[in-house]
Amino acid sequence: MIGAAFGATLASAQAGDEAAFACIFRDVQPALLRYLGLIAPEAEDVAGDTWVQVVAGLAGFRGEERAFRAWLFTIARHRAADAGRSRTRRPAVPLEMSEEVQQPVSADTADLALEALSARAVVGLIASLPRDQAEIILLRVVAGLEANDVARMVGKTPGAVRVAAHRGLRRLAGLAERADVTQ
Amino acid sequence: MHGEMPGFFPGRPGGEHDEPLLDMLLERRPIPPGAPPEMHDLARMLAAAAGPAESGELAGEVAAMAVFARRSSPPGISPAVSRSARRRLSGWSARGRAPLAAAVTVLTAGLGSTAAAYADVLPTPIQQFAHDTIAAPAPSGASHPSTASAASPQPSAGRQPGGAGRRQDHPAPSALAPGRGASQGPRDRQQGLDHGRKTGRNVPSCYPGHGLPQKPTPSPTKTPAPQGSGSYTWTPPSPSPQATDCVVLTTPAQPKTARPMR
Repeated sequence: MIGAAFGATLASAQAGDEAAFACIFRDVQPALLRYLGLIAPEAEDVAGDTWVQVVAGLAGFRGEERAFRAWLFTIARHRAADAGRSRTRRPAVPLEMSEEVQQPVSADTADLALEALSARAVVGLIASLPRDQAEIILLRVVAGLEANDVARMVGKTPGAVRVAAHRGLRRLAGLAERADVTQ
Repeated sequence: MHGEMPGFFPGRPGGEHDEPLLDMLLERRPIPPGAPPEMHDLARMLAAAAGPAESGELAGEVAAMAVFARRSSPPGISPAVSRSARRRLSGWSARGRAPLAAAVTVLTAGLGSTAAAYADVLPTPIQQFAHDTIAAPAPSGASHPSTASAASPQPSAGRQPGGAGRRQDHPAPSALAPGRGASQGPRDRQQGLDHGRKTGRNVPSCYPGHGLPQKPTPSPTKTPAPQGSGSYTWTPPSPSPQATDCVVLTTPAQPKTARPMR
């Protein structure tokens, strides 16, 4: 998160400052890819489509950083849905990396994630949770969105989002305990 | 809720006790030091998941910056518009160049031919034609004032009658232009014919374009169908050593030999 400087950075980007836009991109892109890795096999393509739309609407955006992120991840979710519909019309072999991200359900995967604690490995571990729980956790923790924003995105009430997030975290802690992360 | 995670947070049945901590984790706030170790491990995991960019995660920056640079151009001169405008401009320029070049060629040929006519350097029939048409000097030693009823000072295959016949009657000898196109053969041949003689011009003003007779026999070789007023006969070059590469159009009734090229 950029924090207090986000307003000025956004204003500069809206004025055409490439450095300011690069700052925003570098801040958001990792979280965007990690989230899209869960919901879209073609995460990088969807991310590219997302940025195209974000750039197109950047000049008209008004709001603070949290709202900006909510806007951007909502676009990403829609683009992922579009990609999913396109994928069902044109079935393709999924990418190898995407398979790794979406199927890290073994205890070995948990071990690797907890040993290295790399973002990719932990996101893979989160992806082993039920889909709604994993998505909510990623949107709340990785994307940094508020419960209300996530609720609007996924079509649930804020209370349901909270419950699902708690269940997912407990399950995730169970995976960590099985992997003996407390050592 | 706890049913799905037995053993988690032991000693805290009911799950309500861990919810504040879970909310803190979700909001990425630091948890109290006295929280269960599982919570700390979970916090470490979530912090890693929200960590900084790893290798390859910023690979799309160049493309995104390119998109941004295109979109952030000042209105009215966006690169896309400029590109299309440039494309249109270059296309118009390319399209306009061909007619311009053709016009310049025709003008140059006309002026050159006129100048040649006034300099009395054209073959006799053409010179006579120029004399009748534009009051150029009469051909020197011309015995037949109107030997050519139609001729062009700059012959072209499309305008000269019997152009196809020439190609049929005088195929380009491969020995003279081996491995080259028809447009190259005559030039090579011309250079070969000019070899050893003093000449300041390489291309005659009435160059036939294809194949030349091997023998300077002044017999008609082709009488194509008339395309204008009267039929025309190709007359091979005159026996003059300087006229072997020049062919002119003459009427059948008045075959004339070509005037030597200078």
